[in-house]
Amino acid sequence: MTLNLELKKILLVEDNPTMRKAIMEMLYMLHAQHIVETNNGIGAVAALTQDQFDIVLCDYNLGPGKNGQQVLEEARFNKLLPVGAVFIMVTAEQNQSMVLGAMDSRPDEYLIKPFNSQQLLNRLERSCARKHFFEDIARAADQGDLSSAIHYCEQRLGQDHKNMRMPLLKMRAELAIDTGDYATARQIYLDVLEQRDLPWARQGLGIIAFLEKNHEQAIDVFQQVLNQNPMMLETYDWLAKAQEAAGENLEALDTTHSAVDLSPQAILRQKKLALLADKTENTAIAEKAYKAAIKLGRHSIHKSSSDYSGLAKVYLKTNATAEALRVVEELHQQFTDDPEAELRAAALATEAYQKMGDAALTRQAYEKMLELNRQFGNRIAKELRLEIATVCRLNEDHQASDRILDELVKSYVDDPEFMSDIKKMCATFNNSDYAKKLIQRTRQEVIEIHNQGVRLFKEGKLNDALALFEQALAKMPDNKTMLLNMAKVMIYDIKANGSTREKILRTEAAIKKTRQSGIAHDKITELQMALAKITRPQSTSHQS
Amino acid sequence: MPDAHLLTVNFPALLASSIHDMKNSLATVRALIAQLKGTCPEPPAREFEQLEFEANRMNNSLMQLLILYKIDSFSFNLSIDEHAVTDVFNEVIAQQSSLLSLSNIELTSDCSEDLFCYCDMTLIVNALSTLVNNAQRYCRRQILLTASRDNDYMVFCIEDDGPGYPESFISSDAKQTTQIDLATGSTGLGLIFVATIAKMHANGDNRGLIKIDNDSRLGGARFRLYLP
Repeated sequence: MTLNLELKKILLVEDNPTMRKAIMEMLYMLHAQHIVETNNGIGAVAALTQDQFDIVLCDYNLGPGKNGQQVLEEARFNKLLPVGAVFIMVTAEQNQSMVLGAMDSRPDEYLIKPFNSQQLLNRLERSCARKHFFEDIARAADQGDLSSAIHYCEQRLGQDHKNMRMPLLKMRAELAIDTGDYATARQIYLDVLEQRDLPWARQGLGIIAFLEKNHEQAIDVFQQVLNQNPMMLETYDWLAKAQEAAGENLEALDTTHSAVDLSPQAILRQKKLALLADKTENTAIAEKAYKAAIKLGRHSIHKSSSDYSGLAKVYLKTNATAEALRVVEELHQQFTDDPEAELRAAALATEAYQKMGDAALTRQAYEKMLELNRQFGNRIAKELRLEIATVCRLNEDHQASDRILDELVKSYVDDPEFMSDIKKMCATFNNSDYAKKLIQRTRQEVIEIHNQGVRLFKEGKLNDALALFEQALAKMPDNKTMLLNMAKVMIYDIKANGSTREKILRTEAAIKKTRQSGIAHDKITELQMALAKITRPQSTSHQS
Repeated sequence: MPDAHLLTVNFPALLASSIHDMKNSLATVRALIAQLKGTCPEPPAREFEQLEFEANRMNNSLMQLLILYKIDSFSFNLSIDEHAVTDVFNEVIAQQSSLLSLSNIELTSDCSEDLFCYCDMTLIVNALSTLVNNAQRYCRRQILLTASRDNDYMVFCIEDDGPGYPESFISSDAKQTTQIDLATGSTGLGLIFVATIAKMHANGDNRGLIKIDNDSRLGGARFRLYLP
């Protein structure tokens, strides 16, 4: 195929003026007409926000400020790139493209410098053709409509596209995993491995083992893959996950540490390392990783006040109170008009002043924290709310602490990991009994409401069931059982009583809430597929 | 006695990071050459060809050194995928395109559309480009790039119409090309690189290999790269 660049909108991001000019000339030589050029990351993000581009050519190393990976992460995070757009990262050497293996965002292609116009054209043709080939699959998947994505994928596999066969199979297997259809995914990986020992197929088998909770087997597979392919950074992440799930936290720390050594620029991995170091009480690694995350965060969409708070807590733990206060100060400067950051800062300051024995300053910081919590408490992350409850308790304010715990247990009683965090926190204050009873009582309450709802549902009183769950959710806003029940009843209602635009909208909103609450991915997919099935009558022929 | 610890850094690592830096400079130099050629009213073809050729050679050597360094320090692995051989050839021809447009050498490729092979495309393109580059130094007018299947292997074949390899070179067997001859300036880097990359490509018990002879259909040298 020949690519017509005349109609394509192209963004070129390159800081070196000579290189930029050279690439511009190549593009003009290839008949491109709409080219926007910029020499830095902020300019790139601004251009992507303003305009929809078909092709982005972005150099990785952009001097001071955002680098190419950070531009890509921000573009993906804020959905600045159209589904059919091609993002090509220009790097200095092949190894760099391996090392850049970020935890979430990947470019469509890496292009290694130097290249001439013919090479550029070749690469553009290949990646545009591939993107076009996958466009409807990607669009459906992007909209959460996995059943259509699978349909398109199967259709393409049935035709004879020999040069797209491998990426299609890979995509099909990943879609199968996303819908919980592990048998299909496993068969695809095994078929591929029959022909050739490809690391992604082996890794796929490991992922399935992990998802089926065969953690030891998953660990084995991932380690084998890494023995052969020491630069497969994604496999380190999976291995660490499996080790953590198997309770091998020290091993998970080691694994993540190795990956960070190979690829120190990936901010999400640095954050993960810091959390694992916290968990295993390795303050040296935690300090280093939090510092790295803070530094990398400066120009990143993943900049977060929690990294500052993590570092400050490491210092508090090692009694380096002055350092902790310095970090709190920096946190203040870096985040303005950010209630979550202010809350973190106030909580940390309270702890630090208390450690120093300064009653007046402690009181002052504590009052500020309570005030912020009153204003914003229901909008912030559960982990931070638990921290605030802890600080209340440290300040002997049992009433405030218990109130927060009460709300947290109501909302997250279905999250065993978080409940064990709450139990742990209460245990440090010799208050295990309180947590145990509270959790038990709440669980009972949830079960009763659930049973009542199911009864109403079976009696066909759908509206009463919905009202009941709605009422319950007012008291326990993020409760997973209630959210799931609500969405299920809504879907059934459409099935039984016909669909209206309003019903579909409210169901979609309910599903969106389940996603935000962190309910397991496959359960949400199940809901989405069920909704898609009844709202979109199966079209018999997708002709393309 | 010389002080063994005079150098406080790891020398290979220093070499690698310097090579990296040189590569960046070279990229700018090449972009400038291209610009100059565009602004020059009557560019002297001969000189520009030489400039391009030498810059290309330097870049290939630096890239090969870097990859060999990474392989040596266990921070490299292949990214194997299935690729159409025509895609591989198109890349090689593209990489040589500006050079070929300046010289009067004809590079032709011939292979079937439905040949596919498992390889690390970037590395194999680099390896083949190195070989084509080498052939360009010795051939008269023609280089031929072909591929075919031979049992468990995909065979890439580069033939030219030059004088062929010296007899001593062929008889010494490809394995001994690691002998570095500083006097003649022939480091053997290109061959070491291609042989290493070939060996890294493995499938079950089969490993990639190279073969050198003077049985070219064009009357000159023939280089064959076997990938399992």
